[in-house]
Amino acid sequence: MELIKNTHFDFLGKRKIAYVFSCAVIIWGMVVFGMRGKENFGVDFVGGDMLNLEFPAAVSAAEIRGDIGSLDIGAYSVQALGTEEKEFIIKSAPGTSVKIIGFFREKEAASPEKNFVIKGESSVAPSMSVSLRKKALYAFIVGMIGILLYLTIRFEFRFAAAATFAIFHDMLFVVAILALARKQVDASVIAALLTIAGYSVNDTVVIFDREREAIRRTRSNDYVTVFNNSINETLSRTVFTALTTLFVVFLLFFAGGEALHIFSLSLLIGIAIGTYSSVFIASALLVDWHKLSPHKFKV
Amino acid sequence: MMRQYYYRFLVILAVIAACVYAIYPPEKKIRRGLDLQGGVHVVLEVKEAGEEKQVSDLADRALEVIRNRIDALGVTEPIIQKQGLNTIIVDLPGVQDPDKAIDIIGQTALLEFRLVSDDQEMLSAALQGNVPEGYQLLYSREKDDRGIYRETNPLLIKIEPELTGQYIADAYMGYDSSGFPDVNLVLSKEGGVVFENVTANNVNRRLAIILDGVVKSAPTIRERIGGGKAQITGRFSADEARTLAIVLRAGALPAKMDMIYREVVGPTLGRENITQGFRAAMCGAIVVVAFMFIYYAAFGLLADFALALNILILLGVMAIMRGVLTLPGIAGIALTCGMAVDANILIFERIREEIKTGKSPKSSIDAGYKRAWSAIIDSNITTLIAGLILFFLGEGSVKGFGLTLSIGIVANLFTAVFVTKAIVDWVMVTQKIEKVRI
Repeated sequence: MELIKNTHFDFLGKRKIAYVFSCAVIIWGMVVFGMRGKENFGVDFVGGDMLNLEFPAAVSAAEIRGDIGSLDIGAYSVQALGTEEKEFIIKSAPGTSVKIIGFFREKEAASPEKNFVIKGESSVAPSMSVSLRKKALYAFIVGMIGILLYLTIRFEFRFAAAATFAIFHDMLFVVAILALARKQVDASVIAALLTIAGYSVNDTVVIFDREREAIRRTRSNDYVTVFNNSINETLSRTVFTALTTLFVVFLLFFAGGEALHIFSLSLLIGIAIGTYSSVFIASALLVDWHKLSPHKFKV
Repeated sequence: MMRQYYYRFLVILAVIAACVYAIYPPEKKIRRGLDLQGGVHVVLEVKEAGEEKQVSDLADRALEVIRNRIDALGVTEPIIQKQGLNTIIVDLPGVQDPDKAIDIIGQTALLEFRLVSDDQEMLSAALQGNVPEGYQLLYSREKDDRGIYRETNPLLIKIEPELTGQYIADAYMGYDSSGFPDVNLVLSKEGGVVFENVTANNVNRRLAIILDGVVKSAPTIRERIGGGKAQITGRFSADEARTLAIVLRAGALPAKMDMIYREVVGPTLGRENITQGFRAAMCGAIVVVAFMFIYYAAFGLLADFALALNILILLGVMAIMRGVLTLPGIAGIALTCGMAVDANILIFERIREEIKTGKSPKSSIDAGYKRAWSAIIDSNITTLIAGLILFFLGEGSVKGFGLTLSIGIVANLFTAVFVTKAIVDWVMVTQKIEKVRI
């Protein structure tokens, strides 16, 4: 079976539209991100407590909110898991989950038939969260430098820089969409972002590899045509690799449970955007860079 | 000619055998992370300012104490590590009673014997806020009928201790005369002498037994006590007494420790995570396998075989490296499935292109593998860079994800290229194939 063959799309001719689209989404998302402030981050990045409780019978989230509200422990949030209203995630200020557990224990003592279970619990002190944030940023920067160096050796600096820029684009895009969807960034999102970086650069490199081969073979200076051909030649692979990977992540998203929810959601967005940037952004940057300073690509 | 095919099959069979041997039986060979089997993960920080060297020494000593305590608790495969200058990481997979474990790790367990002032006037003055020099007000803590601790019974107590937990040779749970659990202390030889002198010089005064700044009991000294034995009573449950005996035996922490990170995963949540994670990964793998077969026919089956082998190698290397499989790790495996077939897609698409140029099946296949190689190696190495950095710089579950991703990529280069080529070459030679359907 062969579904995509002999395509001749003018991807690079539409690069202005792609630039505008990307900038619009990223700027809009970053504005929202800026306005949300601390709201953007999960407990492991700002410090705080998280409790995962399961009650034997259905309780409404409103009831739990009322209960915790009476404790006077500052800001908190209650989120029901699943449709049964038995399991809840309660987030609160650092060191306050003990009070919440104490309260429910006390309440339980009054009515012996109820028996809740603490399924999971975590508590992150603000000082710890600072070190986690630093580590995440450090890992990201080291990763970028590594990728930039490797690609400079294998291609040339402009290719490496364009691929690295595409990675930045994808990450900003994902963070922008998470902000717009009112989701919180936690350690698992960082792992997802780095995976997206790996996937997206993988995708970009496959296209760059074809462009490198075409530049060597044709010795042409008409990079728009050369690159457009290369993108079209690899299109079948780009689409099917993206689809198989998206299938898997899609299943993780729907069947992976709460623990993988935000992780797989970030991957889902990131793989789609990574594919888009490989096709519409990375090579377009090379073309425009060449227009600004017309040196031949030496690969 | 045929020998080089046998040689390649021998390598493949050896790898399969080694991996199967490494994995079997999986429940024992593959270490599961906290999120998959439940347990406790805490990070403690020395809460004491001072020179770097000093703080670092304190952390080293605290590490020893915590290790002794956990040994007494009997956890299988605990991880107790110093990180940086002043933090200690404790990982206790599969702990059944997380609250107790946290209590045992975090307690400073500084035990002191200190004299109580009997002067009622001084005590009331102190309660007004007028504490005399050399003394301090301390309370005992009691559970009320609602199960909440309250501070009661203020006592005016000398700051200078007569004796500390340093002199304890052994501690164990016992029962007092009215049948309540208590903790029996056996003092060291030196401690026994000190204790005998203190009791001899202070007959009819009260001697408070203080643990981490809380008065446990304050009995009146009736007579000189020789023999170096003492009891701590104080309305303990049997469990509390046993825990206290453990921490006293292991010794006090050299400084106060702050628990700056605490993660508890209950066993049910761990089981749910494992079933959900595996179900998702299995479904993902099935979809990918089906797609490859439908889209690339016989070559798709070949890629599917490579994929299965990839997962086998991944788990085998995890078992050999004693790596920890976490929930994001399972996601990493699922993602590897998606990306593992990518190398084969690259090769197959390239073979299709070569066939279109009119080459023979054999040279189309050879050219396809050869031309796809630069794209495969460059794209995999860049992804490997990201994976390795996650492994070395990440923590906890992120680290686990980086490990599975990295192993998956390296295995991928072997299975998707070396293994499939070996099989294709062998089929082409033995079956004398004229036309290739791909």
